[in-house]
Amino acid sequence: MHKPELILRHKMFDRVCHWFVVATGIFTFLTGFSFFYPSFQWLGLIAGTPELARALHPIAGLLMCLPLMVMLARYYHHNKWEKGDLTWMLAIKDVMLENEDKIPPIGHYNPGQKVLFRTFVITSIVLTITGIMMWQPYFTPFFSTVSVQWAILLHAVCAVIMLIFVIVHFWMATWVEGSVAGMLYGYVSKAWCKKHHPNMLNDESHSEK
Amino acid sequence: MSDKDIAASSGLSDLNPQSRIRRTIPKIAKLFDATKCNGCKACQVACSEWNDLRAEVGTFQGSYQNPMAVSADSWTIIKFNEFVDDNKKLRWQFTHSACMHCEDPACLTACSTKGAIVQKSNGTVELNHDKCVGCGYCVSACPFGTISLNPKDSKVYKCTMCADRVQAGQEPACVKTCTTGALKFGTREDMLFIAEKRVAQLKERGYANAGLYNPKGVSGTGMVMVLHDINKPESYGLPADPKTSLPTTLWQDVVKPLGTAGILGAVAVACVHRITVGRNIVEEDDPIAYAQQHHSHPEKTDKE
Ligand code: HEM
Ligand code: HEM
Ligand code: SF4
Repeated sequence: MHKPELILRHKMFDRVCHWFVVATGIFTFLTGFSFFYPSFQWLGLIAGTPELARALHPIAGLLMCLPLMVMLARYYHHNKWEKGDLTWMLAIKDVMLENEDKIPPIGHYNPGQKVLFRTFVITSIVLTITGIMMWQPYFTPFFSTVSVQWAILLHAVCAVIMLIFVIVHFWMATWVEGSVAGMLYGYVSKAWCKKHHPNMLNDESHSEK
Repeated sequence: MSDKDIAASSGLSDLNPQSRIRRTIPKIAKLFDATKCNGCKACQVACSEWNDLRAEVGTFQGSYQNPMAVSADSWTIIKFNEFVDDNKKLRWQFTHSACMHCEDPACLTACSTKGAIVQKSNGTVELNHDKCVGCGYCVSACPFGTISLNPKDSKVYKCTMCADRVQAGQEPACVKTCTTGALKFGTREDMLFIAEKRVAQLKERGYANAGLYNPKGVSGTGMVMVLHDINKPESYGLPADPKTSLPTTLWQDVVKPLGTAGILGAVAVACVHRITVGRNIVEEDDPIAYAQQHHSHPEKTDKE
């Protein structure tokens, strides 16, 4: 069997960053949703007790959101809107049903990933700001009760949006086989690129493998 | 406390309701008559004595009011509100500031921890400190600002209406101590009856706007107040229209059900897609899996 030609897709720093975000994210999501759903308070027992979940969630949240922002900043140049993006979006049905010959070619990231990228930018910023406003007993006393009430609402809304997008992200990452290996070890095959991100092969930046 | 005494609890919903109370007893209330209070603070001292509260000594803030706000270590204070009346005369308006024991408490609605805030059959709102996680949602939700988070143990505290005394058939410590009769205690019905009489009496004496503060927005309170001028509750440091706020209601009644539907919907779509569309494999990377996915049964298809 011939050895597939490999292309570097994710640098080591970004890979470490991503899986650190996943690890702290699991803790943040489970503890966060233990406050959202009173009947599922046991989700927070990953932290030991409900009180510990309460005390540790904001810290885990920061440990998740700050590296995520670093990663998003480093991936920004791959996620700018490009010309072919609209045609790809309109062909979303063929993408989902894997009608390969009908999928318009795209570059390093497809428009779906770009939407996800933007959602993570917005939600991570809003979650951090509102999270700090809700953080008892350290920061909440500096804000009016009305602004804290809106912060709690926004924090919950953004948490739900982020969870839904992470579910979609997980679904797509595991569906498109080879992506998770790419995020784990850095490399994807040339054939993988041809199939999923054909224009990426024209990219100068990949000569650095 | 038996669960038969609990009328409502935090962290429950229509799908997961509170057990029905089997003991209906008259609701109780405290009546504070601001027109009788002389600001002696006996109630404030009695509260700290009975409940063994010792707030840290603060600093002078230019007012006789001390401390300036209720806290985890001072559950009731007398507010010294300075008020200029129509004749340009300055006077103090005293408010006995403590938990109002709302009939429809915003703190209980905001609390997402099952059983941390309960409403008992006698109408009082009570905290269970062993359940409280200290998130402070109740503190932000309370329209009266009378529930406080203690930074030392991250638990919330407030006036209990002296539940321990009331259970033994006694009045709360503040009422017991009041020197002028401005504080009274009894069934809500009786307190409203006495208050109405007092308001009528005040009107006769020239206080045309005298009235009873028993705000509708929280379906009435377990501490009702007779005021000189019911149109200016702010001059007593009281909110004009206290209620469970819009963001709190949206969060509990709209975001939670819609969010749950969205999360479950996303999971369902993902699962159905995976089963129906199947794997997405690059032939070169994994020829065997690719063959199984795409060519194994050329004449028969699983997609009927
Ligand atoms: C810098 C980031 C974050 C900070 C500082 C933060 C802080 C907080 C705080 C202070 C609370 C109130 C409970 C507590 O005190 O522990 C809270 C609740 C919550 N957090 Fe975060 N958080 C952050 C990020 C996140 C993230 C990334 C998620 C998940 C998407 C999340 C989901 C939640 C949820 C679901 C709640 C419960 C909201 C509710 O009760 O409706 N948080 N957060
Ligand atoms: C738990 C399961 C997760 C898996 C299996 C996973 C997998 C992956 C994979 C395979 C990629 C690379 C996609 C590609 O090469 O085209 C990726 C990218 C990325 N992931 Fe995850 N991920 C997970 C969770 C998360 C979480 C919780 C976050 C943060 C909220 C996150 C944020 C990102 C970001 C920002 C990118 C870059 C995408 C872009 O720039 O458009 N991931 N992930
Ligand atoms: S601080 Fe305690 S009582 Fe208040 S909302 Fe949070 S869990 Fe409930």
